[in-house]
Amino acid sequence: MSEHGEGGHLPPKSTVTRWLVTTNHKDIGILYIVTALFFLVAGGVLALLIRVQMWTPGGTILSGMGYNQIVSIHGLLMVFWFISPFAFGLANYVVPLQMGAEDLAFPRLNAVSYWVYLASGLLAVVSFFLGSSFQGGWTLYAPLNVPTFIPSVAQIGSAAAILAATLFVASVTVSSVNFLTTMYRMRAPGLRMRDLPIFSVSIVLTVWMMLFAFAALLGALVILSADHILGTTYFTNEAGGALLWTHLFWFFGHPEVYIVFFPALGIMAETFQTFSGKRLVGRKWFILAMILVALQSFVVWMHHMFLTGINLEVKTIFMATTIGISLPFDLMMFSLIYTMIKGRVRYTVPFLFNLGAVILFIVGGITGVFLGAVVLDYQFRGTYWVVAHFHYVMVGGATAMFGGLYYWFPKIVGKMYDRKLGLAHFGTYFVGFNLLYFPMFVVWDTPRRVFEYSEGFTFWHRVATVGAFLLAGSFLIFFYNLAKSIHSGDPAPDNPWEYGSAIEWSIPSPPPIENFPKGLPSYTSGRLEFLDDEEVATRSSGAEPTPAAHADGGTATDGGTVSASTALAQAPETSMETAHVEEAHADHASWWPFALGIASFVTFLGLAGLQWEYFLWPGLFAVAFFVAFIGIVGARRDGYSPIHSLFVLLAIGGIMAILQLLAIDKGGLDAAIAGASPYFYVTTLGAFLGAGTLVSMGWESFQSPEPALAEQWPFSKVGKWKLGMWVFLASDIVLFGAFIGSYLFMRVANGWNDWHHLIPEEHVVLPGLINTYFLLASSFAVVMALEAAKRTDRRKLLGWLAATFALGVGFLINKGLEWQHLFNLHGGAFEGGWGITTNIASSTFYLTTGLHGAHVIVGLLITLFLIARAWKGAYMGEEAAGTVEYFGLYWHFVDIVWLFLFPLFYIV
Amino acid sequence: MSNIKIYTIMFVVLMVFSTTQALVEMTGLLEQAYWVAFGAIMVLSSIKAVIVAGWYQHLRWEPRSVTYLAASALLVVVALTTAAAYSIL
Repeated sequence: MSEHGEGGHLPPKSTVTRWLVTTNHKDIGILYIVTALFFLVAGGVLALLIRVQMWTPGGTILSGMGYNQIVSIHGLLMVFWFISPFAFGLANYVVPLQMGAEDLAFPRLNAVSYWVYLASGLLAVVSFFLGSSFQGGWTLYAPLNVPTFIPSVAQIGSAAAILAATLFVASVTVSSVNFLTTMYRMRAPGLRMRDLPIFSVSIVLTVWMMLFAFAALLGALVILSADHILGTTYFTNEAGGALLWTHLFWFFGHPEVYIVFFPALGIMAETFQTFSGKRLVGRKWFILAMILVALQSFVVWMHHMFLTGINLEVKTIFMATTIGISLPFDLMMFSLIYTMIKGRVRYTVPFLFNLGAVILFIVGGITGVFLGAVVLDYQFRGTYWVVAHFHYVMVGGATAMFGGLYYWFPKIVGKMYDRKLGLAHFGTYFVGFNLLYFPMFVVWDTPRRVFEYSEGFTFWHRVATVGAFLLAGSFLIFFYNLAKSIHSGDPAPDNPWEYGSAIEWSIPSPPPIENFPKGLPSYTSGRLEFLDDEEVATRSSGAEPTPAAHADGGTATDGGTVSASTALAQAPETSMETAHVEEAHADHASWWPFALGIASFVTFLGLAGLQWEYFLWPGLFAVAFFVAFIGIVGARRDGYSPIHSLFVLLAIGGIMAILQLLAIDKGGLDAAIAGASPYFYVTTLGAFLGAGTLVSMGWESFQSPEPALAEQWPFSKVGKWKLGMWVFLASDIVLFGAFIGSYLFMRVANGWNDWHHLIPEEHVVLPGLINTYFLLASSFAVVMALEAAKRTDRRKLLGWLAATFALGVGFLINKGLEWQHLFNLHGGAFEGGWGITTNIASSTFYLTTGLHGAHVIVGLLITLFLIARAWKGAYMGEEAAGTVEYFGLYWHFVDIVWLFLFPLFYIV
Repeated sequence: MSNIKIYTIMFVVLMVFSTTQALVEMTGLLEQAYWVAFGAIMVLSSIKAVIVAGWYQHLRWEPRSVTYLAASALLVVVALTTAAAYSIL
């Protein structure tokens, strides 16, 4: 039976279709958890291979290249595709329940995040089968990460692994925007940020770090992909290429440690208070310590670079900041220990895993402090001390997450897990873990990343290998327990834990599709209560609450009981803007996120092997496909009008022109076809699928209404779409910042004024100035379009949108002419042209302005979409004009970026 | 003043500032006093960015929290760029 009656349009869970189309946060959470466990097994098998290879000095079963691949992909799979996604599987399921939301703010985007994540992980695994995968270690250090230093057999596989990471980061960015918008816009009335259950607090801080840190990594990976596909020379530049990579990577990499660990901390705190029956001691200070760490995490990255050529002053500063970041962790550990001491502990399976995690983290944390000291780091860097420390922290965090899965398993499945099997799992896990990793401290002088070591260390390495197999065996118990319990576990009550205090323990196990059968959760009275529809309608209209019209949830938040006075003081901040209680019914199913996952996998697989001579063409085809789909899908969805024919004709003309240009470029169409590798066709197919999917998503009617009542500080007057756009732009600021920062760094490294010698005389100000005029005028056109839409003036709206489009096209044509001129210089210092591969100055110029140009193209495609819809009367009036405004935010941002690119690349 | 009038005035200011930036280079000021000219050009770009963000993106009328959101991202990239560049001086 479908769950349509419950409010969704979902097939039942027993069907495959359900899991392909679902956008519900609980389903997506389960998908994340299962997929992350799959990648855990994949990464775990690679880890076992590493340990088998380490059985004797000099190795056993793997070649050198094989070992390098396995070490590299093991690290990448575990860090990117297992730990964080596992945490976000739990977060997807639990956070909306804990904050009183029926779903995330953008359910379809949540599904997009998941499918793109899966696509990226599969691409990483597939990279093994494309000749050879990446071999340069999970940190992808330069110059081993660029084609010049990669064996020819591993070129495509390496590019696939790098592109897989890039795709993963795209998924993370979408997810970050979604979580932040949700957590700031959809909290239960009366639920202040500080009163969120501690797991949710840890998640919101994690997502803030993700938003900024992953954007920097995205910048690094896009540049690296360009070095692979386009031949840019960033990371091969002798003056600073390798250092640039380490800066960008570790600016992401160190926050990533906390991105991984914070959800674990949240689970530790949550389970410690539940199973101690005691509110977290010093809860406020615990949260402040987490905030402090989240901020400090962005100023410690250079402690990973003490052995590079950075100056001593900066090393000293970063040693101080690194030692400093350990202090808030001390506070958090003491808080957990005191909570345990003050309470009455029940040694359940989730608690044991979390207690184990605390012990492991303390070992990992203390051994990490050594690495923060410059002098000691000189000794320890590149040894197994780092490997042991790193695994005690990261796998220590994963330990808490396994405990978290046991903790929420009854809620997710509606069945209890098998306690005896759970205890057996914990016992073998904990012993296996320490047998595996502790010997690495003993033989810390073993060199990292190679399988050569002193004969005298053999015994301890064999102990570690035995421990690895014991640890792996513990997961067999784990998976058997999960399967057995899902099949025949005892039914779970709403709250299987006596002291579980957050909202999720006041609703059925598992929760129904829209989560809260007793009504909308609210804390405005000081305790959890559920408001029925009538009461929500009353309060939405601004009337006084009627005390009897709710069901008592019986619990406070784990922040303690919210006092009545506090709740009343909160009331004005609670939005009343959406009074349509349940009028707009939420949708829960869409095929397009799944389709986008397929399209992204196909596109990125193709890009991995695309020759640079063919790089441009799939992109051009994608633009033409997109325009064609606007015409076709628009006619189907909005009803036919001549504009749709125009789009289709434009697209057909465009495709013909592209084929003609391709033929000219390659000396005939036959030569073009013969010269193209299969990857060209795969990329083009991906572009076709992606264009069709994105346009179809744009037209799909998908309701995800905001709650009628919600706590929304500090964004109470910013709608979810606008907030989502601003959060996305914040990440885009960091992305462009990484590019501009890279340019400035390379210019400093190569000598600020010497840089001029790398640029031809013909590179002049005028084309940049003209393009500045074009973009400023287009920004003006967009705000005028917004005014026209607000005044319901359809003709002017269309006129200004058309002007925006024309000015944007003018920008691109001018840029194309300029580039064509620079590519084909004759005479002077750059005889033969100033191309993308000529030198570091040309690489930074073309790639940075090229990224900006790509943003312009995306903006133009959106403009065409808006024109097609506006033609049929969309966006008229104050409220409906919102879409034009959100697009304008993006377009103006692209304009602002250019305002800095213009002087940096054309004047100074 | 109507929105359209404000947008138009801002547009004119933006065009004038952009032209001024190019003139700094064309008049040779960059050769005579590089860092002064550099500073002037970057300040003009910053003012232009503030105008676009404040008026065209309506940050002036949005809650301050939105400005802080964008500013925090800016702070992150300034920290990265400054510290990275300093590390190799």
